[in-house]
This record gives sequence, C-alpha cells and structure tokens, in this order.
Amino acid sequence: MKLFRKLPGYANIWSWLSLMIVVLILMPNITILLNFFTEKAENWGHIQEFILPDLLKNTSLLMVFTGVLSILIGTSLAWLVSAYDFPMKRFFKWALILPLAIPPYIAGYTYNGILNYTGVIQTTLRNQWGIEVDQKYFDILTLPGAVFIFTLFLFPYVYTITRAFLANQSASIVENARLLGRNAWEVYFRIVLPISRGAIVGGVSLVLLEVLNDYGLVQYFGVPTFSTAIFQTWFGMNDLTSAIKLSATLMFIVFGILILEKVLRGRKKYSYASAKVRPLTPVRLKGVKAWTAFSYAFVIFSLGFLIPFIQLVDWMFLTFDKIASPEFTSLLTNSLLVSFVGAAMIVVFAVIIANFARMHQSIVSKSAARVTILGYSIPGAVIAVGISTVFIQIDQWLFGFYDWVGMDPTLVLSTSLFMLISAYVIRFLAIGYNSIESGFDKVGHQFTEASRMLGMNVTQTFFKVDARMIRGSLISGFILAFIEILKELPLTLILRPFNFDTLSTKAFQYASDEQIHEASLASIIIVIISGIAIYIFHQVLEKEPN
Amino acid sequence: MYIQIKDLCFRYGNSKMNTIRNFNLSVNQGQIVSILGESGSGKSTILRLLCGLETPSQGVISIGGKTVTDDRSFVLPEKRGIGMVFQDYALFPHMTVAENIQFGLKGFGRKAKKQRVEEVLDLVNMKDFSKRYPHELSGGQQQRIALARALAPKPSLLLLDEPFSNLDADLQIKIRSELRDIIKKTGITSIFVTHDREDSKAIADRIITMRDGSAYDWDSICTIKSEFPEEQPMTIS
Repeated sequence: MKLFRKLPGYANIWSWLSLMIVVLILMPNITILLNFFTEKAENWGHIQEFILPDLLKNTSLLMVFTGVLSILIGTSLAWLVSAYDFPMKRFFKWALILPLAIPPYIAGYTYNGILNYTGVIQTTLRNQWGIEVDQKYFDILTLPGAVFIFTLFLFPYVYTITRAFLANQSASIVENARLLGRNAWEVYFRIVLPISRGAIVGGVSLVLLEVLNDYGLVQYFGVPTFSTAIFQTWFGMNDLTSAIKLSATLMFIVFGILILEKVLRGRKKYSYASAKVRPLTPVRLKGVKAWTAFSYAFVIFSLGFLIPFIQLVDWMFLTFDKIASPEFTSLLTNSLLVSFVGAAMIVVFAVIIANFARMHQSIVSKSAARVTILGYSIPGAVIAVGISTVFIQIDQWLFGFYDWVGMDPTLVLSTSLFMLISAYVIRFLAIGYNSIESGFDKVGHQFTEASRMLGMNVTQTFFKVDARMIRGSLISGFILAFIEILKELPLTLILRPFNFDTLSTKAFQYASDEQIHEASLASIIIVIISGIAIYIFHQVLEKEPN
Repeated sequence: MYIQIKDLCFRYGNSKMNTIRNFNLSVNQGQIVSILGESGSGKSTILRLLCGLETPSQGVISIGGKTVTDDRSFVLPEKRGIGMVFQDYALFPHMTVAENIQFGLKGFGRKAKKQRVEEVLDLVNMKDFSKRYPHELSGGQQQRIALARALAPKPSLLLLDEPFSNLDADLQIKIRSELRDIIKKTGITSIFVTHDREDSKAIADRIITMRDGSAYDWDSICTIKSEFPEEQPMTIS
C-alpha cells in the first residue's frame, strides 16, 4: 500500500525526463553488450587469433607503466606542494595542472615535431655543432614514447586529487609522525602514501580510463590498442560486428578497472567525518633542498606544458598566414557550436537527473545517478560504435516515415550532428552531473523544503529557488563540459557528419598528414581555452571562501 | 479534533528500525502543542510527516477534517497549506525580506500581496526591514521573518522545528514569550518541537513527550498548564 502514497511524489516531469535520459544512456551500451553474445562476425576468429593478443599486450603495458609513473610523479609533487614551501610554489600549485590543457594527441605530435630529423633539437645540433645523431635515440613514436606522453599529460589527475586530500585531511597525522621522530622520507613512504591510498586510486583510475579512451596518440604513434583496432575493423574491414565485439571486450576491461578501484579503495575511509579540517602547515625549505624541489617541479612543468606550448606558438607564427582562412573560421565556429550545444544539453540533463536523485533517496534514483556517471568510464570509440548502431537501427525503423513525408528514405539521423551531440552528452554527462550534484549538496534541502511548504511545486521550486542557488555549479558544469567536448577526438572523428570538421579533428588530420606545423593553430586554440578554464577553476575559485 | 494522527509508522530508507512507531496524537483547533524529546527520538520526523516532506509507511493523518494521507492517498506538501518555520529558518538568501514573505502568496493580487506583507511584518514587529536581505539580519530577526513568512499564506497549521536552537540563551527567553503572543494573536493551531523543557513550559498549552518513536506520556506539568483540562491524556503505545 506504500505504493499509493509514494506515487504522487514520483508523478512529475522530472521523473519522466530522468527515465528517458537513463534509457538514452543505456541503449548504446546495452546494444554492445548484447551483440557481443549474439551476433556472428566474419573476421572475429581472425581478430581473436592474430590481433587481440597484441592489443591486450599493448594496452596492459600502456596502463601499467603510465599508471605507475603517474602515481610516482603525481603523489611526489602533491606532497612537495602541500608540505613544503619552496621558490614559486604558489605558482606551481596550479601550474602543475596545466598539462591537462594539452590533449595527449596534440602533445604527441608536438613532441615528435620537436625530436624528429627536421625538429628544433636535431637541426640545432647539426647546424651549430655539426653533430649527426643516431635516429633511434630520437624516435618517440614507440610504446615507451606513448607512455612518456600519457604520463606527462595525465599525471595531474593523480596530483590534483591527492593534493586536495593531503591539504585538508592529513595535518594531524603528519604532524604526529614528525613529532614521533620520523624524517621526511619515512613520513612520505610510511604515512603519506598509505593514507592517501583512496585519493591515489581515484586519480590513477581516471588516468587509466583516459589511456583506454585515447585514439589520437596511439594511432599517431603506431601503437595498436583497442581504440585503433575498433576504427580499423569498422572502417578498414567494414566489419561493424567485429568492432562491436572489440568494444565489448574493452568495456569488460573498463568494468575490471572500476571494480578494482572499488576493491583497492576498500572499506576503510581515510577521511574524517568532521567538517572541521585544519590545513597542513608547510615547512620552509632552504638552500639546496629548496632549489632541488624547485627544479623537480620546474622540469615536470616544462616537459608537461611549457616546452610543447612554446613550440606550438612558434609553429603557429610560422603558419598563421597560410592557415588563418575563412575555412579555418568555419572550423572554429563548428567547434564552438558543438561544444556549446553539447555542454548546454549536458547541463540540462544533469540538472534533471540530479534534482530527481535528490528528491527521492531511493534505489531507483540512486541507480539513475550511477548510470549517468557510467558514460565517462566508457571509451569514446565504444560509445561511437554503440550509438551509431542504435541510430542506424532507428533510421531503419523510420524509413517508412521518411518516405511518407516525401524525403529520401536514407540514413537521416545517423548522419546528422544530432548523433554526434548525443554521443557527447552520453560521454560527458558525468562531468556536468558531478558539478551540479556537489552544488545541490552544498545548498542542502532546507530551501527547497521551505519553498514547497510555501505552496510551490517541484518545478516552480526549481526555477524560483534551486536554480538560483546552484547557479555557480551550473556555470562550472557548463564550462567543464564545454572544454571536454572541445578537446574530444575519437567520438568526433567517427560520428561527425560528412565534411564536418572541428579544431580537434583538423589538427589531428594535419598531424597525420605530416603537416605538424599546420596543426598548431587549431591546437593552440584548444590549449589556450582549456588553460584559461583551468586557471579560473584552480586559481580564482580556490581563493574564494565558498 | 482538528488534527488526527493515527497509528503512524515511518522508517528512513537506510535504517532497520522504525523511526516512528504507532504514533497517535490529536490536537484541538487553536492549541499550541509542544513535542518534547531528546535528539533522535523522532520528534522532528513527526513534523516532516505532518507536512508531507516524508511519506509514512502506515497510518492516517487528517488536518481540519481532510485526510492528507492514508493507505490510498497522499497529498503533496505544497497542497497541504501548512506553514513551517525551519530550524535554521531557510530564508532564501537571494531574496529580500519582502520577497521572501511574498513567495508563499500565490494567487494574491499585487495590492493584496503588498498589504499582507505589511500585515505580517507588523505582526512580528519588523516593519522597517522589508528591503533587507536575510544575511543583513541578526539571528532573532531572521527567526521573526521566518515566522512571518510561514504565517503570511494563512496556513491551517503552523509547525516550528526547534525554533530556539540557533539563538543565544538570553535572546531565547525574550523571544519565547514574544513567539507565544504572536501565535496566540493569530489563533493558529501550532505544533513545535524542542529538546528544552523550559521552552515547552513557556509556550505550549500542552506538552507531548516522545521517546523512541512513540508519544509515551503526557507531561505532568502540562496537565496543570493546559487550557484544555477536559481532554483525555494520550494512550501509551
């Protein structure tokens, strides 16, 4: 009988819309998982025997080495910046996040451009000192090279999460360890690393998911992974069914990582329930120690941001007149358009689900929230396969309708921007959702309840009260989603309509056609917009009390 | 009986025990009832169930002769016409005092709205503050505005959740009697929740004590104080 009481609370537009969104997100993923078990594929036997072992080997090597190296760099910098004062520390605190502004594929071809035969290093050696070097020492287009790029440009995930944890949670533990006579190294290995386990695992799983998601870098470096194999079977062999099976295999790996993350984080909560946290007081380093700390941070910052950035700016000036054309303006408009529409839809959808989830603390709403975050763990290539399968199916159902309204009965939806934007929404909904959810958490329930006691229904309350109070979170959710879409490569590459290019696809195309210099203008725009967003979030917002 | 609560049961999603167990209460029109109990006794939950912010698993609630929830029906909180003063007041920070009060005056004309705002501000002695924002008011002033806001739509029932917990001790004593005067002036039926025996004694016509999710007793003082001495005491459940 409880049902009759519960129904009126659920019977509103928020529940219906949430249900629709959840179905939209689940459909492509379920399609992939179902097809893995049912459909027969012509090339699957061949792929299993000759390609899959290589893919698994490369993928595991990339994940293990990138994972370990990002932990080393990320945690050591996080600790250095939280616990010590050294020259320019305040700058490094946020500047060490900047490598995230450069997507790995852009970083990859930039480094190749710096290191190859015509690059700045080798030409300088040749022309200044007449030194001819052995090319094999300068070849970055290898698996270790890919690990190098992934590590340098993804470690900030580990760095930011660990630093936030250390800054707020560790003060009393660390100070106690010092008082008990432990030196700095002992404190780092015996206290800091173990207590930040949860944060480190959280950060490194983001790094690994990004590695699995990447298409541009591994394609450019010629390191076959699942993403490249999915492209290859789909477009090279024209075998969508095998591509689906590869996608499903990749999805199982992703689920494996997510489960491993849960297990490794364990039941132990390494955080205090109390809201009263005391920040760690940094120790001032002097002399050699101070400059060693500075040099370490500076080297990582240079490799991860400064050097590729300067190189891109240099190339941009070389090629600006050639590249800056009306055609380029249309690239820019396309990019901004899809990012804007995509981010706006993400914020709207995220708000609907987040509001639904907080109104009903039930299993239904909690699962809706979980599903919303799901897309972010699924690699772009997999989402692309799933969503185009679904859209082609829908188009086929609609053939009769197209015919009836006098249109050519061809693929309409599955060749439209609509499909690309739906894919963005699925992949990046989690970003908007997390931001909005934390906004709702901060505001709490009391204002919503007060409004409903004053006679406003859920929807009126949302527009008059909730939306006003979480405005900041709505804006930051929008900006974060906007940036991610702007940088995105694999989804855009697969799902864009014919002749539709964005900054990221064009940059990648130029680079793939050995026109690295020409790729720089598109790349630098992406890097600068992302960089500004990072600056705003971590420098400006952090200073405000709220 | 103006308000009737019968066999009310409720459990929060994540707990194994019922927070409210077979709770029974009836209140006469115009009465000020205090529910006294320690934290965790379920007293605030009763208020949330009364106004529809939580859904009971069992039991019947009727207010002014209308059933707001039973086994087959549930009236949403915004349709119940109940006023509530929240523990931390929940004044909308992005609205002025006047806008806060107007918020609940749906269906009033512009003039009528303005007039009603003035009336309730007058009632709580805060006439000069209509243009202020909540953060520009002291704790006691905020509470009076919260009360004015709850009273403005002329609700059939007023609920107050720990109305004094956010006030300084000396302010608390002053506001107690003031609050009772205001409520008595409007003649509205009120239920308020507190953990402080002195609060209950100072304001209530009748005191209910809660322990472990049930109203278990009349408080002895309350029989002396009650304006309704003829009423039957609560059954122990």
